[in-house]
Amino acid sequence: MTTDTVKLLTPEIVLVTASVAIFVAGAFLQGRATWCFGAAGALLLAALGLDNSSPCEVVSGGGLSIDKLAVFARWTALAVGMLLVLLAWRRNTTSEYVGALLLAVAGLSLVVGSSDLVLLFLGLELISIPTYILLYLDRHDAAGQEATLKYFFLSLLASAFLLYGFSFLYGVGGSTDLRLIAAGVAESNAGGFSDLAKIALVLIVAALGFKISAVPFHFYAPDVYQGTSHANAALLSVLPKIAGMVVLLRVLLAMPGVEHAAWIVTVALAVVTMTVGNVMALWQNNIRRLLAYSSIAHAGYLLIGLAVALAAAGGATNRWGNGIGVSAILFYLAVYAVATIGAFAALAYLGSPKRQVDGVDELAGLGRTRPWPAVVLAVCMFSLAGIPPLAGFWGKLTLFAGALGVQPTPDHSVGLWLDGHLQAGFVVLAVVGMLNAAVAAAYYLRVVATMYFRAPLGTPKAEGGAGPWVTMTLCAVLVLAVGFLPGLLLDRSNQTGDATIEQAAAWRIPAQDDE
Amino acid sequence: MDNVLLAAVLLPLLGAGCVWALAETGRKVVRISALATTLLTLALAVVLISQYPVGEAEFAASETNVSWFGGEDGPIDVRFSIALDGLSLWMFGLTALLMVTCVLISWEAITDRPAAFYGTLLLLETGMLGVFIARDIILFYVFFEFTLIPLFFLIGIWGSEQRRYAAVKFFLFTLAGSVLTFLGLLAIVLWNAYHSADGVMTFSIPELTASLRLHPIDPAVQLWIFLALFAGFAIKVPLFPFHTWLPLAHVQAPTAGSVVLAGVLLKIGTYGFVRFSLPMLPDATAACMPWVLWLAAAGIIYGALVALAQSDIKRLIAYSSVSHLGFCMLGIFSLNPLGMQGGVLQMVNHGLSTGGLFAVVGMIYERYHTRKIADLGGLAHRLPLLAFFMLVLTLSSIGLPGLNGFAGEFLLLLGMFQRAWTGVPGDWVIHLRIISVVSVLGVVLGAWYMLRLVRLVFFGELREPIRADGEPAPRDMSLREVAALAPLLVFVVWIGVQPRFFLDRMSPQLDGIATQAAKSLDQKPPELGEALTDANEVAAAGEPTRDH
Repeated sequence: MTTDTVKLLTPEIVLVTASVAIFVAGAFLQGRATWCFGAAGALLLAALGLDNSSPCEVVSGGGLSIDKLAVFARWTALAVGMLLVLLAWRRNTTSEYVGALLLAVAGLSLVVGSSDLVLLFLGLELISIPTYILLYLDRHDAAGQEATLKYFFLSLLASAFLLYGFSFLYGVGGSTDLRLIAAGVAESNAGGFSDLAKIALVLIVAALGFKISAVPFHFYAPDVYQGTSHANAALLSVLPKIAGMVVLLRVLLAMPGVEHAAWIVTVALAVVTMTVGNVMALWQNNIRRLLAYSSIAHAGYLLIGLAVALAAAGGATNRWGNGIGVSAILFYLAVYAVATIGAFAALAYLGSPKRQVDGVDELAGLGRTRPWPAVVLAVCMFSLAGIPPLAGFWGKLTLFAGALGVQPTPDHSVGLWLDGHLQAGFVVLAVVGMLNAAVAAAYYLRVVATMYFRAPLGTPKAEGGAGPWVTMTLCAVLVLAVGFLPGLLLDRSNQTGDATIEQAAAWRIPAQDDE
Repeated sequence: MDNVLLAAVLLPLLGAGCVWALAETGRKVVRISALATTLLTLALAVVLISQYPVGEAEFAASETNVSWFGGEDGPIDVRFSIALDGLSLWMFGLTALLMVTCVLISWEAITDRPAAFYGTLLLLETGMLGVFIARDIILFYVFFEFTLIPLFFLIGIWGSEQRRYAAVKFFLFTLAGSVLTFLGLLAIVLWNAYHSADGVMTFSIPELTASLRLHPIDPAVQLWIFLALFAGFAIKVPLFPFHTWLPLAHVQAPTAGSVVLAGVLLKIGTYGFVRFSLPMLPDATAACMPWVLWLAAAGIIYGALVALAQSDIKRLIAYSSVSHLGFCMLGIFSLNPLGMQGGVLQMVNHGLSTGGLFAVVGMIYERYHTRKIADLGGLAHRLPLLAFFMLVLTLSSIGLPGLNGFAGEFLLLLGMFQRAWTGVPGDWVIHLRIISVVSVLGVVLGAWYMLRLVRLVFFGELREPIRADGEPAPRDMSLREVAALAPLLVFVVWIGVQPRFFLDRMSPQLDGIATQAAKSLDQKPPELGEALTDANEVAAAGEPTRDH
């Protein structure tokens, strides 16, 4: 391990060290309020150590690839981690909870910078294992235990699938390093995209589909969200989703020729996921269950971005810049994360340590009884629904504009079997997505309508404390700020997207030589 | 003149912030500051209108154009670009005028959380003003969608019994259409980026219009984009049979909500057709023209017949809106300079007369707490001033010569008849003639249901709901209420007497749009069943051909 690697891993090292320190100190010390201070400090320190000024090349053999994609995703990870720590900031937050949370954030930060199958897998496990602990720590009733167990077993199953898929990929590519895999897969493409790689594709998509809660790997999400606390639900709907999307991007972009098979898989998953998520959410009365289906639906939108990115990697041009697909995914992940955490923070604030808000009906009349949490929830709901001028709208804009902008290049053959129908396919995808957005508005509006148009049934306790209050306020401000000045984030994600697609194209050069 | 327009759009936003900040100071301060904001905005609008260069299509001096995001060198360059032109000028003025009315008529009616109410109303004003002056397609859509949020709260919080259902239905109906409109607008931008001479991607509406005139979109693609835009705009208008959300929203909304809904928000639909569909998709417009005209005529007759059968005053006027907006669509889609001028003028007229009528209904409701026609009668004895306003607005609504409604309806019917008898619309000629004649029938029906309403409610024997002991008889209009309606009456008469003043400022731009659309119609008159076969052929052939 060279000093370079150490330097690149500063954020993760800081986070893991802090987390271990908190675990150990927790066994001896009682000062409970201080753990969150420590965690927040560690996150700030990690942010300082995050060298964003000069994204360096792949550290060959080290398994790290701190490219622009990694830098953007790491910033997102640290910001999301900070919001989650703030959300968990209570007087009785235990050291175990804070430590495990930091570990999960470190895992996310690690996974988005990995370009090696082993490191990718380890990073994903570093997110999953602390999550099991977190799920168990925050709620001890029967429902909580059911949720924890369900998540534990299914997550293990997904990990097994992922490993199995990775082993096939190793077989095809002859290496665990993504760059070498790209070369290996390109070499094996002589007689068409190999069947072994297809098996790898299916297994990897299934496993990561679990992480991002894509249909049909979503069944755990509603039960687990319902059976856990708001803080945990926020974590579950954000961390694995960011990790899953980035890993999907990395692995699929490192498989030249995968577009033929992956494109159709992605599109089918996207359509089914957003439709099922949105339609099922219409009937939910439990607010966490509703947001679980909403989070499923958003995975569907994100998969549209993945389809666009795959088309770009396959050689189709995009009028908005070839990186629009990747850019849309990153931008959407960020605005989705902020709005979702904001919503869960508001709900956490409204509850009390003894009893949390469960039903949508409990929010009745919130506009009168608790005006500020109601405003925050409304802002987050409208943003998730994608109504301008809130951040979510720009997320939808980049996703759907990207889908409409795909054009097969006529001059040099792309080699996609769907050349003739590529554009039509994306137009249909965009139309289905937009109609889904209209359906989704129905249940988001239901929450808003309940808060503002119904008579209060009683005043919610609102004993969540300062942590959730600060989190929800911060999230609302961020949603509005990105809504009015989307360029702040969008320009960066666009650069990242372009760089990522360029790198993927560079990795593919052997493939063209072979042809 | 540099930033007057910008100030006029942002002022209500600022006012909304002030009103919310003043929430603790009580109703008086709140409503006075809301009134001051709307008056100041109106003053700025008057300044802008008075400076408008007559005979020009655009008001270049009012333009504000700064990069919003994406940057000029990137592929996406979204700009905050606003300016007035002939089409938007009067809609802009109408919005500023009606907002003053809205604040005044809510003066006593709104007792529940007035700061929130006026703040939301002012927020809505910024949204509506922005829709009409946006020069960037993305900015237009942002304002277009944003208007939904404040109106959703206005209906849902301050509406009548069924307000929750009405607010949600209104929001979802409009959103369902406008999501497709969004894709259609993006498709226009993309097509232009591929096919324009320099291949630069632009979101600017004037640039797109000019560029698409040189490189028209492939007709079959135009048709699909037209349908996508149609989904949003037709629901907003609302064109029969997409109108079902409208009566519900109107009846349940608070008076101010009904006034802006009828006065301004419905016009965003017709405005969208004139701004985007006609100039950017002329071939599809020509191909779909007879279909749209049939829907417009159906709306005229259907709205009128249903209005005749209503027992609730507000509901009656809501259905009359369906009928009147049918007239606007008829004028616009006659694709004839006269008809187009009439249609756009009728948009303003309808805003004045129906907006005013909803205000009168609100005043009646404040006095009697009923809107049932059967509960009321002979109110002219009790409320002579109110009866006067009602009568003038009614006469304006049914198109009495000398008042504004006549100028608009006459022009648009003239345009329609010209199109049906002297234009060359091919196979459809007999349809167009039937549509013209049928829509004239709508004028007669309009006079019938409106005059019936006035006769039943205001004339004959005095009939009022029974008052509790000691409750004083309702008083006639107060000075505040007169101040709310009098400006509308001024314009009702002014447009009626001197329509040239208004038409001169809009005609240069509208004539350009109408002539271009008429040209496509002449080149390729729609034939029965042709539009769809065309599209199918192209779809079967796969990729549409490119210029270069």
